[in-house]
Amino acid sequence: MSNVWYYVFTLVFFLFDYFILAMGLNIQYGETGILNFAFIGFVAIGSYVTGALALPSSVGTGQHYIFGLGLPFPVNLLLGGVAASGFAVVVALITLRRLRTDYLAMVLISLSLVLYDVTNNFIPLFNGADGLYNVPEPFAGVLELTTNSFIPFFAAVTGAIALLLWLVMSRITRSPQGRTFRAIRDDDVVAAALGKDVFRTQLKSMLIGSFYAGIGGGLIIEFAGSFNPTAWLPGETFVVFAVIIVGGVGNNVGMLVGSLVVETLLIHLPAFLPSIPNHPGLIEYFDTVVVGVLLMAMLWFRPQGIVPERLRKASSLGGSDHALVARGSDAAAAARPAGVAAAGPKGER
Amino acid sequence: MQLFWLSVGFGLVTSSVLAISSVGLSLQFGITNYINFAYGDYMALGALVTYVVNNELLHWNIWIALVFGSLAIGVLAVVVNRLILGPFARRFTKTFYVLIVTFGLSLVMLNLEYAIWGADVRFYEMPIDRAMHVGPLLLTKYQLIVMGIAVALMLGVHAMLKTTRLGKSMRAMSDNTTLAMTSGIDTKRVTTVTWFLSGTLAGLAGTVLGISEGNLNPASGELFLFVIFAAVIVGGIGSIYGAMAGAVLIGLATEVSAAFINPAYKLDTAFVILILTLLIRPAGLFARPGKA
Repeated sequence: MSNVWYYVFTLVFFLFDYFILAMGLNIQYGETGILNFAFIGFVAIGSYVTGALALPSSVGTGQHYIFGLGLPFPVNLLLGGVAASGFAVVVALITLRRLRTDYLAMVLISLSLVLYDVTNNFIPLFNGADGLYNVPEPFAGVLELTTNSFIPFFAAVTGAIALLLWLVMSRITRSPQGRTFRAIRDDDVVAAALGKDVFRTQLKSMLIGSFYAGIGGGLIIEFAGSFNPTAWLPGETFVVFAVIIVGGVGNNVGMLVGSLVVETLLIHLPAFLPSIPNHPGLIEYFDTVVVGVLLMAMLWFRPQGIVPERLRKASSLGGSDHALVARGSDAAAAARPAGVAAAGPKGER
Repeated sequence: MQLFWLSVGFGLVTSSVLAISSVGLSLQFGITNYINFAYGDYMALGALVTYVVNNELLHWNIWIALVFGSLAIGVLAVVVNRLILGPFARRFTKTFYVLIVTFGLSLVMLNLEYAIWGADVRFYEMPIDRAMHVGPLLLTKYQLIVMGIAVALMLGVHAMLKTTRLGKSMRAMSDNTTLAMTSGIDTKRVTTVTWFLSGTLAGLAGTVLGISEGNLNPASGELFLFVIFAAVIVGGIGSIYGAMAGAVLIGLATEVSAAFINPAYKLDTAFVILILTLLIRPAGLFARPGKA
């Protein structure tokens, strides 16, 4: 197989993987309004736990890590997702009940930095700054794939998992629970006055979103065979935010579009450009600058994203005016003068 | 015991850097009511501008270069507020949007700094300095000057807030912006001046962080940011005096703990104190009503 196809399938993998991550952050931020600036920390937990469960016992490998159970592929991935969810519950119990938005964002970004610092320095946990490597390939013993055939195969597996998770997520966002999420995002005081338990709902949202983060992270370590702290600097959270804001906050299909534009075209495609002599990393630096500027421009000129959130008509209230009033979020309000908010098709996804 | 007093000395220096940076962050938060997540990068940029003036272009004395670097960031903060943050804050009522924009701004600035200066660790041009005994503490001349700057600035900020017209306007705006506006305070001008002060303090804090740590690079502000957050939250958000007290507490705690645990985790002590504060007294030690 030629190099070109190798690159293309790597891009396809990241397209689907960030689709999963973006759906996870979208249910937290886009649907429920929790500004989770520690998102990449949950991705890392999923990744490390998946990897450490797949690796054999650490004795004699030259690496230091916990677990080392040699579990087969889908089992370790699921447990990685569960670990991320479990950690999210602990974090939510400490922070969500007490803090308003920007306090919460400050505590979460601090959490992200501390997780990073501890993982980097505490070697017995996940091998410190070197990270985990030589993680066994999924299905290696069963299918006998070569390095070349593994990449398209695993891109397809990731696509299938992404499809499954998308079906689940669109059921969740369409359900009464999904409406409760959005009610809290739009006005938590009103939601509480209507008898919704704000804290429990936010807890559920954190739990679901972090499971998606853990699965997305687990797929990365299975795909690359290694994972170390440089892969999850706190700034990486911002890339996932850029994906959902460019794609369209509150719209699951938008997540795939955002992943295509931001993650595939802007972050990963330039990585294959030849590097500039004497300036290592210059392309990556400018890459990130472009993503940041694009995000600010999107927020200013098209805050609803490429694929806007669809207005859901509440039939008992009748008419789209009520839906607009009920859904009076900033994005819709900012878009209305430009005359684009009402243009999208109405009704359920 | 000697190790303990040595760590107290380091703690007081860290407290000084933290006090300058936390007050800069708190002043701006009190007026605009949103957190600037790019604050750490303002600090790093201040340190780097000082570095350019001190080492590369003009070879000015470090203290003159420091003044230049701080004022440059003050001007930058005003410009960024005029062009980016101000318009976003006026257009969107929910704080989400501005917070994400400052988060994005942080990443843009960090990566521009990396693109210009690279990831190498740099050092200021300063004469070699010997430590001397001050009571039980062992400090260098530079550390003493850093502490002196911090104390002078804290007294200056206190005098400004209590006695000057500007300081009173700032306190009024921090309590209630609408009421301040209807009382005839030029809120736009106060906001601009506040951003200038906040940026200047950020640039200054970044440089003294570089001096006290002995090195600097574009990422040094990023990691320090959460220690500032810890100081500000422990002190009670929006409270200037709380920020000062939080800075002393967190600065001492991180450095003294380094004498007993692995120093690699000393900054994480700040996070532990932050979590304990949230569990026991979530609004901070010097809480102000309505700000949490």
